[in-house]
Amino acid sequence: MRLTILRGAAVLTLGLIAATGCANGGGSAGPGRPILVGVSLSLDGDFSGDGKALQQGYQLWADDVNARGGLLGSKIRFKFVNDASSTQQVVTNYQNLITRDRVDLTFGPFSSLLTIPASEIAARYGYAFPEPAGGGPHVFDRGLKNVFFVQPAPVVNNLVSYTKWLLALPADQRPKTAAYATQDDPFTQPQVDRAKALLAAAGVQTVYSQVYPAETTDFTPLALSVAHSRADVVVLGCQLQDAIAFVQTFQQQRYSPRSLIETTGPDQGSQFSDKIGLANTEGIMVPAGWWPSVKTSANDQFVRAFLARYGGDAASISADAAEAFSVGQVVEQAVGKTQSLDNAKLIQALHSQTFQTIQGPMAFDSTGQPNGASFLVQWQHGQTVPVYPPGVAVVKAEYPKPNWQ
Amino acid sequence: MSGLVVGAAMLGVLTGGVYALMASGLTLIFGVMRIINVGHGALVVLGAYLSFALLRGLHIDPFLGLAVTMPAMFAIGLVLELLFIRPLRTDREALSVLVTYALALGIEGVLGYLFSSDFQQLRVWYQTASFAVGGFGVAYVYVFGFLLSIAVLAALGALLYATTFGASIRATMLNRSAAQLIGIDVERVSAITFGIGMATAAVGGVVFGITNAFNPGSHYDLISRLLTIIVLGGLGSLKGAIVAAVLMLVIEDVTAVVVSPTWAAFTFFALLVLILITRPQGLYGLRAREGT
Amino acid sequence: MRIAAGVLGAAALLLPVLSPDPSFLNIGVFTLMYVGLATAWNISGGYTGYVSLGHAGFFGLGAYTLGLMLGHLRVPGGYAPFLVVPVVGLVTAALALPVGWIALRTRAATFVIVTIAFMFMLQILATNLRPVTGGSQGLGFPVPQGWSPAFVDVPFYYAMLALALLALAISWALRRSQIGLGLLAIRDDEDRALAHGVPTWALKIGAFAVSAGLVGMIGGVYGYYVTYVYPQFVIDPLIGISMVLMAFLGGAGTIAGPVLGALLLEPAQLELAYFAGSARLYLVLYAAVFLAVMLLLPRGIIPSLAARIESWQAAARRA
Repeated sequence: MRLTILRGAAVLTLGLIAATGCANGGGSAGPGRPILVGVSLSLDGDFSGDGKALQQGYQLWADDVNARGGLLGSKIRFKFVNDASSTQQVVTNYQNLITRDRVDLTFGPFSSLLTIPASEIAARYGYAFPEPAGGGPHVFDRGLKNVFFVQPAPVVNNLVSYTKWLLALPADQRPKTAAYATQDDPFTQPQVDRAKALLAAAGVQTVYSQVYPAETTDFTPLALSVAHSRADVVVLGCQLQDAIAFVQTFQQQRYSPRSLIETTGPDQGSQFSDKIGLANTEGIMVPAGWWPSVKTSANDQFVRAFLARYGGDAASISADAAEAFSVGQVVEQAVGKTQSLDNAKLIQALHSQTFQTIQGPMAFDSTGQPNGASFLVQWQHGQTVPVYPPGVAVVKAEYPKPNWQ
Repeated sequence: MSGLVVGAAMLGVLTGGVYALMASGLTLIFGVMRIINVGHGALVVLGAYLSFALLRGLHIDPFLGLAVTMPAMFAIGLVLELLFIRPLRTDREALSVLVTYALALGIEGVLGYLFSSDFQQLRVWYQTASFAVGGFGVAYVYVFGFLLSIAVLAALGALLYATTFGASIRATMLNRSAAQLIGIDVERVSAITFGIGMATAAVGGVVFGITNAFNPGSHYDLISRLLTIIVLGGLGSLKGAIVAAVLMLVIEDVTAVVVSPTWAAFTFFALLVLILITRPQGLYGLRAREGT
Repeated sequence: MRIAAGVLGAAALLLPVLSPDPSFLNIGVFTLMYVGLATAWNISGGYTGYVSLGHAGFFGLGAYTLGLMLGHLRVPGGYAPFLVVPVVGLVTAALALPVGWIALRTRAATFVIVTIAFMFMLQILATNLRPVTGGSQGLGFPVPQGWSPAFVDVPFYYAMLALALLALAISWALRRSQIGLGLLAIRDDEDRALAHGVPTWALKIGAFAVSAGLVGMIGGVYGYYVTYVYPQFVIDPLIGISMVLMAFLGGAGTIAGPVLGALLLEPAQLELAYFAGSARLYLVLYAAVFLAVMLLLPRGIIPSLAARIESWQAAARRA
């Protein structure tokens, strides 16, 4: 009787083998056949909010290209699969996309944490791996040649523009003290450490500095400590959830620093402003490679297409979506140059040229890091506007930040 | 620094009160039904989303909305108990962990479908408005939440110790089969207890939803906190849940400001383990050793 | 029984030859990983009834132990790291002893929570001991050079298979021995077992350490396979819960139950997420299937079906 059950299991397993073995789809693109692009996205779990925004950006790019007649005469079709923010699943997904669905191109997932294992799989099969969101330093020290981080600046340098702006203030206005708090995270911590070193070297005294676990959900005691430090400047290495929580606790404590910058959160449009109230966004800063009104190649079309398809207003567009769209733009131009979908040629082209994206012109060094600088963006009158460097600034930065409403 | 410690401790006591309420439902359910409801965190999140729907759709204040959400959650509780908990006959303690975990996943999935995985928060005026106590701003929401939690806990205490129905709940907790023998409808008591647990989750959900940005996946963190609270307090003990909740939040918040937030959770877990080595039944647990 | 096991074993051994498709082998690697994990968990959790939800801690401990040893000993990618895996098993088992010594003083629900607490403590240590573990920046493993893409999965597949077979062999040997009887006696009634002279303390700590050691070795191979580990992704409560689910699904305390549970659940989960994951109802679907199985076959597939078949046979005999 046990035997029967086990036999059943054996048959079932073998059946599954047969079923999955036959499930090969896709195949490489030819004339008329669509170009298949494989992406694993976090549609559940920790990164699900960002996963959704990436999907929107990728899809808009495909629609845009297809409306213009496609790439090398073929339509673009995305295959999106869900990794539920798990390593195991992201490895399985790219493995499947490449060997089972035989996708022509692979684009990256969300976060450095998932990008590293995924890029190893892509490298194994010789695929180029342009990615919008894996900027942690370790992504680039694995010796891989196929990774391209499609944001204007290496993550470590994200806050450099901010420090330059701050230190360029007239001497009598310059802040004297600064407080730093950052998630223990490969994306946020390196940039906050860099900013702290630069400001400290210029004589801005560090009055509070703290690292907190990425899993923290109750940010109140931390925010309490920052508020208690009464620092002139607050630099936070955070994600959306803590970006909101800190602002709320500062309001409760009636503490309004002269300048407040958050690495992520203020760039998430209405996801951010809805939670803290539009009036309270006034003066908050964020490092950014993109903002809705930026004058770059095709940004107008991007914003218009986004609003037509997903609704809302320009301020509500997440930078994640713009970064994903840029990945598409970079690849489109590389394919245009090489006139082929050969990944080896693409990798070569991606290393050797400058590309126009809605985040501005972009080029990659030998490790796949971009060589540009990020910009400094500030919420003013209900929208985000660039305030530094002077070349791109459209208005003067508001300083000090006004009090909470 | 000392002022900061007092502020953090104050915050710990206020939020601890709310956690005490959420944990009280969980510990009661364990006491009466001998099940570990891993889905309790998801139910709190469900409560937050119900209030969110009322607030966004009908502009009903989350606290006033409890007049609707508490009975609604109570009713949902009765249905869940009937469908998923009652059929468990053998090995209830272990199986209940898995079944209620599946329930949590299901609730997370449905909420994700209905509300997407974006973070939401209940926006009300008393969320950031505060008054000063000794140099610290105390937001009204913490005070409202704390007072409401005390009121609900007091009502729960009165129900348990001053009514006939409360007597049957306590009898069932002490000895399920003996309670059955003296004519108590144990299944009815179980269903109602589960409903009551859900109603407390509704209250917890309101305060949680005002003080935290939440999404459907927020329940994982909540449940691990709630479980450690009820074990530390002693499974089934209402008093234990209250003491442990306040203790946990105060220790966490004070460690976060004095040492570092990266060690806050560690400190609490280490304390939990230390206490359980010397008192396996928790602070106020009844039995010296739980039967297996 | 033996024939079936033989068929299944032969199928598993020949799979890379029969179906060399890497995407398929990749699923094979993760499935065998869970066959091993569920079986290893069962040695302690299934036999003694001490339900640990914290075994993911040992999984991560194993991954970090291997990663750190490879880094410090400068072991290059290739076959060499597999040779270090047994050491990882010993280290994990040794570290599990003090954990078990504390945790096993509690019982039932309290034990469940204590194991969860230990898992989170390990996770926090992995994050906070940055100079040792790399903290939240993660820990990299050497990457095998010179293996063709079609071949990369094969060594990992056989490594996971070997560990799964080792776990099964231990599980089988224990079940047939005096020790196994002692473990089951603990599950049925620990106090009575103690009164009857069963050395319950030594048995349950021993089973806990063996179980943890096996889980640690599997964690090591996993880390090497996915090339990079982070505290919250490798000491992941969901990995701990998954192995328990699989054991319960198939039948906790039986030898074949955890194997069956893993064979059913893991490929289904990976495939479901791949094919239906972008559909928003993926979680609901997963929960529904899972609830249906738990409510219809509460003791697990193998014991429930066995009981049902026995009652049919009894009915047939009476007729």
